[in-house]
Amino acid sequence: MKDNTRPMLEARELVKHFGGKRTLWARTPVVHAVNGVSLSVQRGETFAIVGESGCGKSTLGRLLLRLIESSAGQVIYDGLDITHLGREAMRGLRREMQIIFQDPYASLNPGMTVGQLIGEPITLHRLAGRGERDERVAHLLRTVGLQPDYATRYPHEFSGGQRQRIGIARALAGEPRLVVGDEPVSALDVSVQAQVVNLLEELKTGFDLTLIVIAHDLAVIRHMSDRVAVMYLGEIVELAHVDDLFDTPLHPYTQALLWAIPARHPRHRRNRPALSGDLPNPTQPPTGCRFHPRCPHARPSCATVRPSTEQLADGRQVACHFWREIQHAGGSAPLAAAPSAKLSQRLDIYRARQQQASAAALDAQAGIASIDVA
Amino acid sequence: MLPTTPDVVLDVRNFSLRFSASEGMPNLVDNLSLTVARGQTLCVVGESGCGKSVTSMALMGLLPPAARIVSGSARFEDKDLFTCGERALADVRGNRMSMIFQEPMTSLNPAFTVGEQIAEGIRRHRGVSKEAARTGALEMLRRVRIPAPEKRLDAYPHQLSGGMRQRVMIAMALANRPSLLIADEPTTALDVTIQAEVLSLIRALQQETGTAMILITHDLGVVAEVADYVAVMYAGRVVEYGPVDAIYDDPQHPYTIGLMGAIPSIGKRAGRLATISGSVPAPEHMPAGCRFAPRCPFSEARCVETAPPDKIVEGEHRVSCWRAPIEMLEMPIERHADMQAGMGVAQHVDKHLGSAA
Repeated sequence: MKDNTRPMLEARELVKHFGGKRTLWARTPVVHAVNGVSLSVQRGETFAIVGESGCGKSTLGRLLLRLIESSAGQVIYDGLDITHLGREAMRGLRREMQIIFQDPYASLNPGMTVGQLIGEPITLHRLAGRGERDERVAHLLRTVGLQPDYATRYPHEFSGGQRQRIGIARALAGEPRLVVGDEPVSALDVSVQAQVVNLLEELKTGFDLTLIVIAHDLAVIRHMSDRVAVMYLGEIVELAHVDDLFDTPLHPYTQALLWAIPARHPRHRRNRPALSGDLPNPTQPPTGCRFHPRCPHARPSCATVRPSTEQLADGRQVACHFWREIQHAGGSAPLAAAPSAKLSQRLDIYRARQQQASAAALDAQAGIASIDVA
Repeated sequence: MLPTTPDVVLDVRNFSLRFSASEGMPNLVDNLSLTVARGQTLCVVGESGCGKSVTSMALMGLLPPAARIVSGSARFEDKDLFTCGERALADVRGNRMSMIFQEPMTSLNPAFTVGEQIAEGIRRHRGVSKEAARTGALEMLRRVRIPAPEKRLDAYPHQLSGGMRQRVMIAMALANRPSLLIADEPTTALDVTIQAEVLSLIRALQQETGTAMILITHDLGVVAEVADYVAVMYAGRVVEYGPVDAIYDDPQHPYTIGLMGAIPSIGKRAGRLATISGSVPAPEHMPAGCRFAPRCPFSEARCVETAPPDKIVEGEHRVSCWRAPIEMLEMPIERHADMQAGMGVAQHVDKHLGSAA
C-alpha cells in the first residue's frame, strides 16, 4: 500500500540559470529562468503553473521531470530524491513521468508511423512482447478517440487535434503516474481544444494520473485545475486553490493577470487600467520584489527587500510585502458572464444531441445496431 | 450607438475565391458578403482554415499567385478593389486602407528604424518633406502611447518588445488616417496583459479617428471586447452574422453555439465543455450541402444535399442553417402542448430523447 499523503512530486528551492559561459571575449549573460521555486504536487490532483511568456514556467516543467538539470535545489518524486539520480535508475522512472508538448507538429517524429510512435515506449520499457504490443497500441488509440487502423499511418496525415491525441497516447503508453502537459491545448482551435481538454480529464480519472498543466490560458486553467501556481520572472508569486485564486487574487500580479482576461460578453467590456511596462530583461531582473517596476502598489521598500513567501491557511502562499493592504484595492476577480437564457437552453439541446450522436457512433463501431431514439 | 444610416466604407458582395490548381474543386471562400461602416468594428471569427485570412488578403490585393477571385465585388470608397488594378491599389494601401498582421516581427523591416518605417508611408502617400514625415511619425508614436517616443523613433524593431512592436504596426497603419483598417489576429501573439493594453488602445484610437475596422480573430473574448458586428465563418462561408449582442445572447447556428460552449468559463467550473466533433474539412473534401453538416449534431438529409439559404432572425441578424433555431425542431408537433404547459425545452428534450444526459 502506498502512502497516499506523501506528495507525488516536490520541488525544493529549485534554481536554473542559463548562460554565463565564457566565450573568447567575455561571459554570456546569465538568465535567471527559475529562481528558488518550492512546490508540492499532491497525488491525483491537477496542478497548474501559469504565467506569461518568459516567466520560466516551461523551464520549471522540464526541471520537475529532470529533462534538464537544475543549477541548485532538489526534486523529490514520490519520496525519492531524483535530483542526482543516475542515468539507469532515472530511465526506469521515466516511464512513470511523461510529458505532452505544445506543438503536436514538432513533437512527433515524421518518419515513424503512429503505431511505432506509440509502441516505442512499450518496447523500450519492455512492457509487452511484439504481439501484445500491437494490441496495446490499438487499445491506446481507441482510448484517445482514434481508430485503431491509424497505427499504420504517418503523423503528417493528421490534423493538429489528432496529432495531439497521438502525443497523448504515446505519453500514456508507458503507463505513467505523472503527466506534465506543457501548453497541451494552446496550439489547437477552440473546438478541438475543448475535445482535448475533456479527453485529458477523462484519462486523468481513468488512469489515476497526477497532472501538471503548464499554460497561459487562464480560462483553461480555471476549468481544469485544482491548485494553481502563478509565476513571474522565475518565481512563484502566489499559489492557491483554483477557486480562491480566481475569486480573491491576493498578489498584485495575479490581480493584473485576471483583470486582463477579455470580457465574456460585450456587456462586460470595461476600461482596464492596464499593467504598465513589459516583462523586464531576465538577465537583469529587478532588485527586491521582481514585480515592483510594474506594480501599481509598489512602495520604496519593494525595490530593495525581496518578499518572503508567506504561508496562509489552506496551503495558500503569497509573496508580497503588502498583500493585506492591497486586497481590496481594485484588483478584483474577473467578471464571469452567465450565458443568456437562450444560449443555455440551446447548449443543453446541443449537448444532449451530441451525446446521443456519439453514443450512436460508439454503438455502430462496436458492431451493435444503433438504437433509434428519434 | 450605431448610426441609423451608417455610411458604408466597404461593401463586399458575393465574393468567391479558389486556388487555380484546384479546378473543379469547391470554392475556398464561397459567396461571402459583408459590409462595414464608418467608426464600426466588424469581427470576422472562425477557426483555422475557415478562409478569414485569405479574405483579408484578397481585399488588400495581396493574394498569392495561385489564388483566383471567381466572382464578387468589393466596393471601397469609389473603387472596386477586385478590379481596380495594381496601380490604383498601391495608392489605396497604407493610405485609405491599411492592415495590421499577427506577427509584428515579420511585418517590420529589421534593417530600418521604426521612425523611418512609419515616415516612409507618410512620404509615399502625402508627398511631404522628410522632416515633416519624421514629425508625423513621432506624433503617431505618441498617439499609440509608446513611452519616450523621441527615443523609440530611432530604435530598430529588434530593440522593442512584442507589445511595443505591435504598437508600432498600429502607428504605421493609422499614420495616413485610413478610412478602413484590417487587423488580422492583432493580439494573438501577445500575452494576456499586453493584449488587454493593445485592445483598449485600438478601441480608443478608433473612437478618435472614426476608422472602420475589420478584425479577424479566432478568440471570442477579443470579439466580446471590440466588435459592433460579428460574422461567424466556417469553411469559407459566413454561417451567422449580426450585431454583437445578438450573437452572444441569441446564437442561432449550431457551429456558433458549439463554439460558445467549447470555451471554458472564467467563473466556477460548469461541467464538461461542449465540443464540436471532428475537425474542419480539407478543401478537397468540402461537403456539398451545408459545409458544417458532417460535424453538426442536428444534420439531416437536406443539410447534406443543399446549402442552406440565409434566414433573417431579427433585424440585421442572419443565419445560414436549415435547422435554426434548434429548439423548435426538437419538438414534434404534437408536443407543443407540453411546452405550453410550462415545460422547458431542455427538460423536454431529455424526456423525448431518452436519458441522454
